Amino acid sequence: MTKKRLSLIMAVSLAVALALMLAAAGCGDNSEEPAEPEKPALSGTLELSGSTTVLPLAQEAADMFMDENPDVTVNVQGGGSSVGISNVAEGVVDIGNASRGLKDEEKDLGLMDHEIALDVIVVIVHKDVPLEGLTADQVYNIFTGKVTNWKDVGGPDQTINVVVRDEASGTREMFDEKALKKEVPMAGAIETNSNGIMRQTVSSTPYSIGYISLGYLDSSVKALEYGGVEGSKETAVDKTYPLSRYLHMFTKGSATGLAEAFIEFVLSDEFQNEVVAEEYIPMTEI
Amino acid sequence: MIDREWIVKKTLFVLAMITVLGIILIIFFVARESVPAFTEAGPANLFSATWNPQSGQYGMLIFLAGTLATTVGGLLLGTPLAIGSALFLTQMAPRRVRSIATRGVELLAGVPSIVLGWLGFTVMVPWIRSATNSTGTGVLAASIILAIMVIPTIATISKDALEAVPESHIQAALAMGATRWQMIRRVLLPAARPGLLVAIILGMGRAIGETMAVALVIGPATAFPTSLTTPTHTMTTKILIEMGESTGVQRSSLFAMGLVLLLLAMLLILLVRAVTRQREAAR
Repeated sequence: MTKKRLSLIMAVSLAVALALMLAAAGCGDNSEEPAEPEKPALSGTLELSGSTTVLPLAQEAADMFMDENPDVTVNVQGGGSSVGISNVAEGVVDIGNASRGLKDEEKDLGLMDHEIALDVIVVIVHKDVPLEGLTADQVYNIFTGKVTNWKDVGGPDQTINVVVRDEASGTREMFDEKALKKEVPMAGAIETNSNGIMRQTVSSTPYSIGYISLGYLDSSVKALEYGGVEGSKETAVDKTYPLSRYLHMFTKGSATGLAEAFIEFVLSDEFQNEVVAEEYIPMTEI
Repeated sequence: MIDREWIVKKTLFVLAMITVLGIILIIFFVARESVPAFTEAGPANLFSATWNPQSGQYGMLIFLAGTLATTVGGLLLGTPLAIGSALFLTQMAPRRVRSIATRGVELLAGVPSIVLGWLGFTVMVPWIRSATNSTGTGVLAASIILAIMVIPTIATISKDALEAVPESHIQAALAMGATRWQMIRRVLLPAARPGLLVAIILGMGRAIGETMAVALVIGPATAFPTSLTTPTHTMTTKILIEMGESTGVQRSSLFAMGLVLLLLAMLLILLVRAVTRQREAAR
């Protein structure tokens, strides 16, 4: 028995010693961080929540912001636009992200709106569809399944393959609201969970139709005019093209301290031109 | 001095316990995450046929149907091929062919599912599309991919089961004047049946949980499969597509879907245990 006890104690102390050595090594690595106090150093914690459409953008901004300011922690969470807006109004978070503007009942909450990007959605079709545009009604009829053959909208006698975004997508939320008058798309529509996969699916499925953020549009698919208007930066900015929306960050009152610095960073030329411009229209171009 | 055997024994015991703990934690975590779905949406909502989170409907029947249809389809296509090749390998193939073919089957098991899925999406789906004048994605495409994936599993285990049939049974049947086919049908297959069942059930386990390959060729669309080539969904592909951006009850419902899948898989393993025990009792 004593022998067994002894070896158990030895094994345990060996394990503890190893763990301590590893921990010490870990600490050593972290302490070598070079400090560059160029600007007055920011510190503290910034909390964000809200739209899942804004989430990737906000997360990217948070990572870059934390790289520049090592003493700052930025936490970004999802939850949806409504959650972000109510959270920031209640003071739970510092910044509420939203992919829509304030609703009437939200307008007296004392929130300050910071528009951070413009998202334009264009209707796209497979290249074999010999159409240049569709009216708003035709788009509505196609996506809700009231029209299922291209010949009913002036195309060839072929079944329409409808491609939509997934249920959690902010793009879909906006498209359903503005183009489908809040109705749900037809059952049997193919679902895709990103702009990239949407483009790939429409470009490889004959007689298909879908929608995509303007930033993702390339020559593998054909963009259609919507109600006689081409979706572009210009038509979205002058509001003749309806399928667009701003992405927002809301603060309670005007932004101060860390929140102000963070939003300044998001709106900086660097972040707007390098990150936002990859998928959306940056504010610097509006 | 040091009792090595004791240390080894205890170490192995601890490792085994960590594995068991891991499984318990997985089940616990998935169940806990799906609690809000059961309390807020309710079982009646969860097991309905409408999935529309915008209006608070979280029915998983479409996905359950898709999962079962693709799994059964994959097994219907894969099992005859797998057991056929196991029979060929054990009964008919010359030794040299046997060793090459066995390696081939083993290699097939090692092909990553995403590769099969991508091949399916870029090569097979266009074939089906032009042959049937449809989108090409759906139960048929998924079943073919799953069949390819279950063949190595079923073939390898079936081969072991067939080889485990005592040589004396086979010799006795042949000595009584049975043809080779009569021997296979009346003696070999019945004797190996529990083992073959285990093989099929394990293949089913592989097919039911497969995500990546199926996600590429299933459609996907939130609709019941009305034909073999209309886009549909499975539980795994729905979870894959919506988990990233979902929150609240929607996220919880996806976990509930995962829980149902987990329970299905566990049910299959219990089935294997029951069948194996029956085989051992029969000996």
